[in-house]
Amino acid sequence: MTTGIELRDLRKLYDGHGATAWAVDGVNMRIGQGQFVTLLGPSGCGKTTTLRMIAGFETPTSGQILRDGIDITDQPVSDRDMRMVFQDFALFPNMTVAENVAFGLRTRRMKGRFSDAEIRRKVAEHLDLVHLGSHAGKRPHQLSGGQKQRVSLARALVTDPDVVLFDEPLGSLDAHLRKVMQIELIRLHRELNKTFIYVTHDQDEAMAMSDAIAVMNVGKVMQFGTPREIYDRPASRYVASFIGHAHIVDAVVAESRSDGLMVRLGNGEVVSLAQPAKVASGQSVGLMLRAEDLSLARPGEGELHGQVADSLYRGEYIEYVVELTGNAGLVHVHEPTDLPPFAHGAPVALKVNAQKAHVVEA
Amino acid sequence: MRAFGNHIFVTSLASAVLFFLYAPILVIVIFSFNDSHYTGLPFNGFTLRWYVELFHDRQILTSIWNSVYVGLGVVAISVLFGLPAAIALDRYTFPGKTAFRRIVLLPIVLPGIITGVALLSFYLTVHFRLSLHTIMLGQGTALMCITITEVFARLQQMGKSQTEAAVNLGANEWELFRHVTLPGIASSLFGAMLIAFSISFDEIAVTFLLTGRENTLPMTLWSLLRREVTPEVNAVATLVVLVSVILIVIGMYASRGKNSASYGNH
Repeated sequence: MTTGIELRDLRKLYDGHGATAWAVDGVNMRIGQGQFVTLLGPSGCGKTTTLRMIAGFETPTSGQILRDGIDITDQPVSDRDMRMVFQDFALFPNMTVAENVAFGLRTRRMKGRFSDAEIRRKVAEHLDLVHLGSHAGKRPHQLSGGQKQRVSLARALVTDPDVVLFDEPLGSLDAHLRKVMQIELIRLHRELNKTFIYVTHDQDEAMAMSDAIAVMNVGKVMQFGTPREIYDRPASRYVASFIGHAHIVDAVVAESRSDGLMVRLGNGEVVSLAQPAKVASGQSVGLMLRAEDLSLARPGEGELHGQVADSLYRGEYIEYVVELTGNAGLVHVHEPTDLPPFAHGAPVALKVNAQKAHVVEA
Repeated sequence: MRAFGNHIFVTSLASAVLFFLYAPILVIVIFSFNDSHYTGLPFNGFTLRWYVELFHDRQILTSIWNSVYVGLGVVAISVLFGLPAAIALDRYTFPGKTAFRRIVLLPIVLPGIITGVALLSFYLTVHFRLSLHTIMLGQGTALMCITITEVFARLQQMGKSQTEAAVNLGANEWELFRHVTLPGIASSLFGAMLIAFSISFDEIAVTFLLTGRENTLPMTLWSLLRREVTPEVNAVATLVVLVSVILIVIGMYASRGKNSASYGNH
């Protein structure tokens, strides 16, 4: 028996004003117990609908959701013992912070399981866990956005569920607070050994927190893997361009060996890569070049050539925008600030890190 | 900000409108204290005589009680059927939902006389005896839509995530209603009850057609007015105005207090 959650060919048809469309279109996924899995994609990609089907708020049009091998597709929401953290916090405004957190322990189905003293102890314990011990008596409208989300987190965790679902929980917080909360969530995940299923459109958030990321687009999972796999070895042009500002330059495979590839750009220049060959010679591909895989050199000292189109001082580094020769496209390069700068319009060469450069489908 | 240039013109226009609206009411209030059998000048002196007479007039006292009785019944009908309908409209999708929404709103658009005639012929067909209860039913069906629209609007404003959070935390239907839905809509429900009561209290078109032997206050006043505007009528009107103002202030205070406490940050 497999523990964790499995999605089998999950589909959801949406009917909006007569027009129908697949919001989720055949999602297959295995999420092991204790994993932190993120569904990542632009708005409308089906990530939230997938999460809501796991929670039970939406009924799949077809497909199955399995929990520890048991089909829970038709199980009511309140029986699923998965807690959801909402983007708008969904706190109950008429209750205090402590009453909000206690809500899940005071329902009829929990009747008799905890004494009042135990409930008070658990609530206090979980408010401490999210650093809100001194706010127990306040009402939600007296709290800041970050504090509200901590309350909603404590409310979700207090009933000790195996699975916690997050629907863009940091979406309404400012950038600084998001960073703080990310670290908090990673800590909680490490300490509590619960399955976290997390929905976001923010790739930095997904990269920083997840054990595995499912990159979604138009209702489908484009790639499911560790952050490193998705970043270094994107399975498609879509994933490459969605994750980490990659520039994709059209190229043709010149030579394909078992230990590497050589590709030729439109301008005739050739780049070699250490990527194991899965593509045949002569095939059109996209060469993915990220800023950190490139470095600038004097003309003749690198594989690619071009002209400095722009340079931007970023503090940590200088970002050069280089126009490749023969209209082969624009690439961005990050250079240390202590090296002598390249002038605007100067001819330059680019060295490509053969270990990191990568080709995707054309 | 000065959206309108001519300050004096705008102020005098506004004053004129307010005067036109409230001066007649003020006249009634003043003459209810006039020590004269006729509504009109000269002002013979201050008296509470008409109020004292009012409280000895069995016909008027009975009709006030009848109006309150009908109003409470109308509020009960309006809440009993309007509240579940509003929740159903907010929470569920069902076949014919759009049509249902339009139909429940129809009675407030229809002239009362039409509703009255329709209900009258219906009651006569099924041999209902006309009484205060038939008035109650007639007004209640028409005013149900006030509860539906007020509560539905608040539910939409609340959004569905509180409901989903409660169900997600294991709440059953009753716990969801008792601890989440009802506290959220309480102020708008209360407001709807006040509106329904006050509309019912001075409703005359439906009542006129559906009334049996007993009369409500507007009906009694109407029959008294057919002779002349007596000082007693002025006194009743003044009391009704006073109670209405108190109810409106309570209603506004209740809904505003709730709004700033819970939804002010949205």
